Amino acid sequence: MRRTGFVVCVAILFLAGRVARAAETYTPGEPVQEPFEGLARSFLDKHCVECHDDTTAEADLNLLDLGAVDETNAAVWKSVWAQVALREMPPEKKPKPEVVERLRFADWIVGELQRALADKGGFHAHLDPKKANFVDHDLLFGELPEGIALKPTASPARLWRVTPQEHITRLNELINTEPPYDPARSGLRTHGDAVPTNHGGELKLYFGVDNILRWDGGTVAYATSVKSVPVVLSSARKHGFENYPDFYSVNSAEATQILGKAEDILEYMAYGPLSLVGLPEQITDDPATYDKVRPPGDLRGLPTAIVYSPKFLRPATPLIDLMKEDAAAPTDETLRAAVEYLFEALAFRPPTAAESDDYVALVKDSIAKVGRKDGIFMGLSAIFLDRDALFRPELAESGAPDEHGRVMLQDWELGLAVNHALRYLKPDPALRAAIVEGRMRTRADVEREIGRLLADESIRKPRVLQFFRDYFDHDLGGSICKDNRALADTGVPTRGDAHYFAMFHATASTDRLIEIILEKDRDVLKELLTTRQVVATEMDQVYFGRKHTAEEKKAALAAKKVSDAAAKEKEEASLAAMQDEIAALEARLKETPADRATAKALDRQKKAYEAGKKKVELARRQRSQDTVSVDVAKSDLEGTPEFARVSRPSFGAGSMKPERFLATAPAGERLGILTHPSWLVSHSDAMDNHAIHRGIWIRERLLGGGIPDVPITVDAQLPVEPESTLRERMRVTREKYCWTCHEKMDPLGLPFEIYNHAGLYRTTELDKPVDASGEIIASGDPALDGPVGNAIEMIEKLAASERVEQVFVRHAFRFWMGRNETLHDAPVLQAAHRAYRDSGGSMKALITSLVTSDAFLYRTVER
Amino acid sequence: MNRIDRRSALRRLAAGAGAALGSAAFPGLAQAAASTASRAASGGPKRIIFFLQNQGFDPATCIPAGMKNSGSLAGAKLPEPIEALEPYKERLHIINGLHGLHTSPSHSAFFGALGGYRGGDGVPPAGATIDYELSKVLPETLLPHLCIGMDSMENMTAKPTVANLSASGAGQPIFMHSNPNHLYQMLYGGIAEGEIRRQHEARSGLFDRMEALAAAKGASLPAADSQRYGRYVAGFHDINGLRERLAGVSDHLRNFAPAVDSRYTAPEFETDWHDALLDLGISALKSGITSVLTIGSGRGEIFGAWKGLGVQEQGHNLGHMPQPDNPIWIKIRQYNSRMLVKLMEELESVPEGSGTMMDHTLIVYTSNNADQQHTSGATWPVMLLGNCGGVFKTGRFTQLDGKRPINALYATLLQSAGVPVERYNMTEKLAAKFDAGKGPLREILA
Repeated sequence: MRRTGFVVCVAILFLAGRVARAAETYTPGEPVQEPFEGLARSFLDKHCVECHDDTTAEADLNLLDLGAVDETNAAVWKSVWAQVALREMPPEKKPKPEVVERLRFADWIVGELQRALADKGGFHAHLDPKKANFVDHDLLFGELPEGIALKPTASPARLWRVTPQEHITRLNELINTEPPYDPARSGLRTHGDAVPTNHGGELKLYFGVDNILRWDGGTVAYATSVKSVPVVLSSARKHGFENYPDFYSVNSAEATQILGKAEDILEYMAYGPLSLVGLPEQITDDPATYDKVRPPGDLRGLPTAIVYSPKFLRPATPLIDLMKEDAAAPTDETLRAAVEYLFEALAFRPPTAAESDDYVALVKDSIAKVGRKDGIFMGLSAIFLDRDALFRPELAESGAPDEHGRVMLQDWELGLAVNHALRYLKPDPALRAAIVEGRMRTRADVEREIGRLLADESIRKPRVLQFFRDYFDHDLGGSICKDNRALADTGVPTRGDAHYFAMFHATASTDRLIEIILEKDRDVLKELLTTRQVVATEMDQVYFGRKHTAEEKKAALAAKKVSDAAAKEKEEASLAAMQDEIAALEARLKETPADRATAKALDRQKKAYEAGKKKVELARRQRSQDTVSVDVAKSDLEGTPEFARVSRPSFGAGSMKPERFLATAPAGERLGILTHPSWLVSHSDAMDNHAIHRGIWIRERLLGGGIPDVPITVDAQLPVEPESTLRERMRVTREKYCWTCHEKMDPLGLPFEIYNHAGLYRTTELDKPVDASGEIIASGDPALDGPVGNAIEMIEKLAASERVEQVFVRHAFRFWMGRNETLHDAPVLQAAHRAYRDSGGSMKALITSLVTSDAFLYRTVER
Repeated sequence: MNRIDRRSALRRLAAGAGAALGSAAFPGLAQAAASTASRAASGGPKRIIFFLQNQGFDPATCIPAGMKNSGSLAGAKLPEPIEALEPYKERLHIINGLHGLHTSPSHSAFFGALGGYRGGDGVPPAGATIDYELSKVLPETLLPHLCIGMDSMENMTAKPTVANLSASGAGQPIFMHSNPNHLYQMLYGGIAEGEIRRQHEARSGLFDRMEALAAAKGASLPAADSQRYGRYVAGFHDINGLRERLAGVSDHLRNFAPAVDSRYTAPEFETDWHDALLDLGISALKSGITSVLTIGSGRGEIFGAWKGLGVQEQGHNLGHMPQPDNPIWIKIRQYNSRMLVKLMEELESVPEGSGTMMDHTLIVYTSNNADQQHTSGATWPVMLLGNCGGVFKTGRFTQLDGKRPINALYATLLQSAGVPVERYNMTEKLAAKFDAGKGPLREILA
């Protein structure tokens, strides 16, 4: 142990420091210029070393010898930061530091980690959305203690990388014409919606599929013969917010590919399907004419397998006239028209005169080197890699700083920021006019435009839906690779990719349900959490069904045997009758060989018999493969027709289908999106439910709590015990060392054990009554804390909580500001929450409040 | 994948750089010669070639008749489809009995074939593939990883780059080149003549201008963005840098660049382009441009054409045919085998250390479809060619028991390249179900 005298000495120094600071105000986030031996050593000695010294070393952690932050102890300091910021430490029964003392210590650690790791890749954890809840919720929405001074908020000036989905949607505008909005079928994908992922969950840009009249072969042959471009910009597929401005850059491999694909796009813009075909005869209204000249043999999977309609369906662009065979040599004017069109299509703003000159010169230079056609394509392709085609600048380079050093965005930057808040397409004509005419410079301008855009359903706003995807993480189900046997045990069909298809469909269905709730715009969060409405496909009869108990399965198996036997008997009788008829006709023909009518009838009957036999074989195969009827009590979902936004035809007959129906989920079994298979499977793993992920989701996204990173010393594995339930296997997390954190998540995830890992409701698990009990602890709202019987009971409690609503607002803030909140954002968050509450839970009111806030409008700039 | 020990990986990287020619005209790679001796002594590959034929690789078309158990190939006669390898069988290892049950290989596992994870049509890669991982740890080259894809003429023309087999990470496909004219331009534009030279110069000028434009737009960015945007500008710099580095060794490259003939510009059959692509791949290895070459015959999908071999059928039907004793598949496999022989002969012609390049090269021949088109992946035949300084057993047939996944082979390859991994792209949880063992395949290591 350290000598007692030293501790007393330090304590005195510490107290002296506090007295000296009492009259000072503390501004959160400002650099804390104190040496380790000052603030940090005092804090550790006062609050930490009693338990974390060389004799006690709670959690195997000895902080006695922890020195100033450096590269080698950075991991320990990061852990200290997390524990202190989250108020996990000091523990409940120990004296707590004052708020300012705690905040200053946490700020000091962050500052020191940034300094110590500056040339080791830096320290960015506090900027990660997963750490956003480290900011004390009660300070954001409650009273601040004395001594804390907030400053008017702003976001940093920045470049915001375009996401892969935005990028593909931008490119799609150049080559595909999307249908206009149809209010009667508002769920159908329409102009302005994002390009969604395809049947396999892949984001791709398809060329000319609207023109396709016919193709050879099945689904895979179709997918292989159509031209498409996989997304080039990289991003991670994981839980949580994926699009803070500083997450990604563009590397050389991506740049090269973008350039290559740009030329494909330009060629399609110029020539349409002619740029895709092997033979011009493939473009015809009458596919029979192509049959006369088509290459012999099997064309499946080849570009020549497709017949395209000659209808002009692609967007009309200057490329068409520029590249006409008989067009005159390009002039500066025609090249400039193409450059300016393309630049605005890709960067969402017109080029400056200098930019225009640069690109025209570049195209002319390329023409001089490789000729007209190749030169134009090559030169124009450079625009696809312009900085502003890949990054959206919010640099606030013009405009004077206010007294706090903040500059308000204006004109194109402000207009594009507002546009980006909702849209993936370039500004609509009204917004463009407002920008060009100098009417995008004030808060009132923003309020006017955001109000107009939000009020018009025909102006699609995919960013709003993306927020809910990032928030709920309900779109990962198709990417969770399932063990086939474990999947079969859930009761869902496992043949081929049936389950994954079902999951991609489920994502689109949940998206649509979110939109329906947004269209009503009342109590949005509560509705999302508690609605019994379901947007469903036929497959959801199974996924929203109930897994049979052992007794039910036994009964269903017996019933199936009976019904199979009856069906078999009927089929055999039918085939026998046909055989009798054939025998009778053959006998008649034998008697009257010249009877042509009988001969024809015999021929017909034989064919009918062969077809009947095939039908019977198919039915038998289906019966033998049908395990669903034995394992699952299907839900009787039915309702009014609906549509979901699915990808362009990418897999021939196997492409995703938009048809859905709006149904009501079985009472007592489902409540809101968190009980839908899309969410449940997204939070599962190959073999089972993932109660920990589910618990973390509830803790972070609804309760606003945080979980420190898993210590690197922890081998985070549950035992493999097929005869044990997940709850039983999770006993390892209840060991003391683990439970400090796991008690904040496991009891929030285990209530979802009323569903199996494909999302089916169940009352038994391993033939015993399912135990779905759980508990809300340390939520920050004493009214919420307490045991819950299952997920439905827990969700009902949470959905009624004001704190949960505030946490939702915090997440909306992060999404629309592209950064974590700080204490300085408290007024913005409180105003946004008021706007949401006062409007009866309107998402539009919430977005308007956020987008007209200082955090959205102002930038801090370094000049 | 499991944690790779970057330190030792980097140590290996530093230990050898590029092809071991040590030519004065190739100063960037000159140090390689000095390090060759030590590398050769320690063994392990300096370069690896993956050759994936689509539609499956039926074990009956490669295992000598009557050979049921593991044993030497010395007294055996290789089956007709791979008979071209008969003179090379002392460096051949035929392995049957790995599995890919977890990769969903029916109709191709796509990225899962080299990734060892579930793949499928339209399914993005779930992680980096083994060829990419190896390219990071093998001796540094100008272009660490090159992928070429062979398909029907129509597909190679209409879609000259596709990505189905290789990936640098989750959701990050690597494109394979299928138009030899484009690939030639990329690799040898600087020493080409005529149209290729013009295209190359135009593209070079374009990239130089784009780098200048991008740099100008990064002049007054906030500090945090400046670093990130700097990476974007550096991307152009990389592209231009590669070109410049290639130009810097143009005298050296001239010795290896294949002649551009009518096969490139006026191909009669798709196989003309297949051959040209192979020539380019070989030249990239011999010249030291790359250390990993991935060849996708059929480009990882379920189609493909070989009209130049007299195979009129094409596409999906080829996959529906049984391969053993099938004249069509004999022709395709013989064609593959001739390509393998060419690879070996060409690499043998280049001295490296005390031997030849082939002494430090491993060829992995298999299929992206396991054993057949409609397959569960219960067995996934593989042929290895080369012993890499005695690291790998050769001259053998090994029958495994179907309890270890292809991931185990990939972990073995990584280990042979100096990366101490126990598993590749397989968690312990998954391994509990799909891998009866751990660590490298002892059966293939000497």
